[in-house]
Amino acid sequence: MTDTFQAYAGRPAAVGGRALDLVNAPMIRHWCEAMGDANAAYTGPAQVAPPAMLQSWTMAGLGGVGGVGDGRSAEYGDLLGALDAAGFTSVVATDCEQEYLRPLRPGQRVLYDSEIESVSAEKSTALGVGRFVTTRTDLRAYDEAAGEKAEEAVPVATHRFRILKFRPAEAPAPVRPSSEGERALRPRPVVNRDNAGFWDGVAEGELRFQRCTDCATPRLPWLPGCNACGSAAWTAEAASGAGTVYSYVVVHHPLPAAFREQGPYAVALVELEEGVRTVSNILGLPAAEVRIGLPVRLDFQCYDEELTLPVFRPATADDLPPLRVPVTRTLIVAGAIASRDYQDVHHDVELAHAKGAPDIFMNILTSNGLVGRYVTDWAGPGARLTGISVRLGVPAYPGDELTFTGRVVERDGPRRTVAVTGRTRRGAHATATVRLTTGEAQS
Amino acid sequence: MSLHRADTLGGRAAIAGIGATEFSKDSGRSELKLAVEAVHAALDDAGLRPQDVDGLVTFTMDTSPEITVAQAAGIGELSFFSRVHYGGGAACATVQQAALAVATGIAEVVVCYRAFNERSQHRFGVGLTSRQASSEGAAMGWTMPYGLVTPASWVALHAQRYLHSYGLSPDVLAPVAVADRFHAATNPAAYFYRRPITLADHAASRWIVEPLRLLDCCQETDGGQALVVTTSERARDLRHTPALITAAAQGAGRNQEAMTSFYRDGLTGLPEMGVVARQLWRTSGLTPADIDTAVLYDHFTPFVLMQLEEFGFCGPGEGAAFAAGGRLQLDWSGGDGLPVNTHGGQLGEAYLHGMNGIAEAVRQLRGSAVNQVPAAQHVLVTAGTGVPTSGLVLSRGR
Repeated sequence: MTDTFQAYAGRPAAVGGRALDLVNAPMIRHWCEAMGDANAAYTGPAQVAPPAMLQSWTMAGLGGVGGVGDGRSAEYGDLLGALDAAGFTSVVATDCEQEYLRPLRPGQRVLYDSEIESVSAEKSTALGVGRFVTTRTDLRAYDEAAGEKAEEAVPVATHRFRILKFRPAEAPAPVRPSSEGERALRPRPVVNRDNAGFWDGVAEGELRFQRCTDCATPRLPWLPGCNACGSAAWTAEAASGAGTVYSYVVVHHPLPAAFREQGPYAVALVELEEGVRTVSNILGLPAAEVRIGLPVRLDFQCYDEELTLPVFRPATADDLPPLRVPVTRTLIVAGAIASRDYQDVHHDVELAHAKGAPDIFMNILTSNGLVGRYVTDWAGPGARLTGISVRLGVPAYPGDELTFTGRVVERDGPRRTVAVTGRTRRGAHATATVRLTTGEAQS
Repeated sequence: MSLHRADTLGGRAAIAGIGATEFSKDSGRSELKLAVEAVHAALDDAGLRPQDVDGLVTFTMDTSPEITVAQAAGIGELSFFSRVHYGGGAACATVQQAALAVATGIAEVVVCYRAFNERSQHRFGVGLTSRQASSEGAAMGWTMPYGLVTPASWVALHAQRYLHSYGLSPDVLAPVAVADRFHAATNPAAYFYRRPITLADHAASRWIVEPLRLLDCCQETDGGQALVVTTSERARDLRHTPALITAAAQGAGRNQEAMTSFYRDGLTGLPEMGVVARQLWRTSGLTPADIDTAVLYDHFTPFVLMQLEEFGFCGPGEGAAFAAGGRLQLDWSGGDGLPVNTHGGQLGEAYLHGMNGIAEAVRQLRGSAVNQVPAAQHVLVTAGTGVPTSGLVLSRGR
């Protein structure tokens, strides 16, 4: 059963698209500056373009839709126009899946063709009612600077992109406390003047303990003075996140309302490597498998709109060290411009307000770029990204901090698959799967 | 009492009366009424009248204020009223407060009481859901969001580390439960009268919070218990053989919390009970070998093993071996045992926040216990574990 919107599936979204600029060092440099990506592979004589930059080469740019760089088909324009007319006037990118077949190098011209892969039925989302539109783009390139002809272009990448065209919800539904018929919420933390700094840290993706200024004794739980020496002077430090299970229980009865659905659950006392302990939950492991001595790593879990807690997961050698990226206005704007994305919600506060957003927010190309940077920072310049799939969750606004965590979830010869999460205090911003081939240093 | 030297309270006060309501799952009356009935019962037992009372002591957790109990019990002017904090840790300390008052002449007859509908009204076992943003509430706030909300779970987190540290399995807790139920089986006042259990029953009982099983956990009870404290001299002239307060102590450890002391030392002991033990032995001049029977606070079995260690009945990590094979039971015939909780404890008789255990110690010294230890001269009693706590050494008077 397809409707008039869904009937667009299979039609072209772009035909004979041709990148405005050759792949070039200045755009690469601007992009790397915006992303904070210092990968040596993106500079020097053997320079390649950052794979996550892919979409930047084919963006319409400030010329915009219908401008000189727009390869958009009439059918695609019709579809978007029809969605606008149906009241789905707002747009947000939700998913980006890219497969990189060959690295792009300066001097290459990118050609592309795109197809409307699917249009969803009407969906209710957190943003409002709308339809998802998925396009699939095949990209080719030839070395124009070296005199190659367009006919010689070889496939370099495929790119699946999903947007939500939606009617903005009237007003966000306020968070209501648990009542009958609703999901029971976990007990709240008890926040007061003495421990507020801990919860401020949680909001910023850190587990902070105190350290006595006078005797250097680390302290958790938070208290206004030191038990070892009585000093009232202290500083807060962020835990590295590495710890071990010091003790644990498995709760069977009674199961508090918020835990009833999951059944018996483990609560652990985790000793952090800094020498303090904290009570927490162990995620990613059946309760029956939690053991004293288990190495664990800090994570954060959002349980409801008002509760994010530090939690722990079993640590393995496959964990990537976390990366924290402050989300500044500069990052959002520089990332948008470096990726040639001139959508107003990424640089103009007033227009962002007009579209129902509280502030400008990060574009998906920047999120994608940061995910790529996070993994290559870890994998080193010898590694080659072969694919990135990103799903966006909560937006990243100025003042947020993005904390990326990742884990190798698959190994096959030199190939690795890495699961990445980029989280802000609001929840998961980007959930990504990154595929790469390791370099020689990464056997 | 002092951390560093023997005190001078020992022997100057005595428990002269004990009284309780029935122990039930639904008392059918108010907590205040239970308190008043227990106070009257204890005064009757002592041969005293309400007008003889000039002091009252209870727990901060009790819902019946001293003045209201006095109002409803026919007690007049009070020169001493006091409350002790930290849940069941208050039990023996109420007696210490009373002893301090009568020994110094601040009061002459002080009644200690605790009464609640802990089963039919305010069950501790259902767990916390929220706490005020006080410092005390904040301490609980570190664990509540993770679902560590019940007393069983707090104790279990200690117990798991204890068992791990000494290479023990949860089965080693069974002899404590079996001993309690063995004694309760012959105590008509006990909820589990005529219902003993076996080690196999323990092993087959369901998990509450691993490593604790159902049979590791105390009951929940409605009821009231009161104790009359006066000077040793006056007690000698009353109806029963006095239970002399040979030593009384409170104890809190370094970096102490109430039930959530997870952030200090190795979690293999009860440092606050160690503080109590050192004082009791020092002031009484007694040693574990002098104790005929002990009433060790048993809301959960693991802390009974740790108390045996803290008081020096055995070494650290040896509590399980000390308790095994029936050595805590009255019918143990070897020389290396210790009858513990001869009333059935809080697993077997009733959960009265430790106050019923003090009454049992008094009965043992009078020679009137249903499970009487022959010629008991000295009894050790302890209060709530895992919290700042207290203890008593009581001795047979006259």
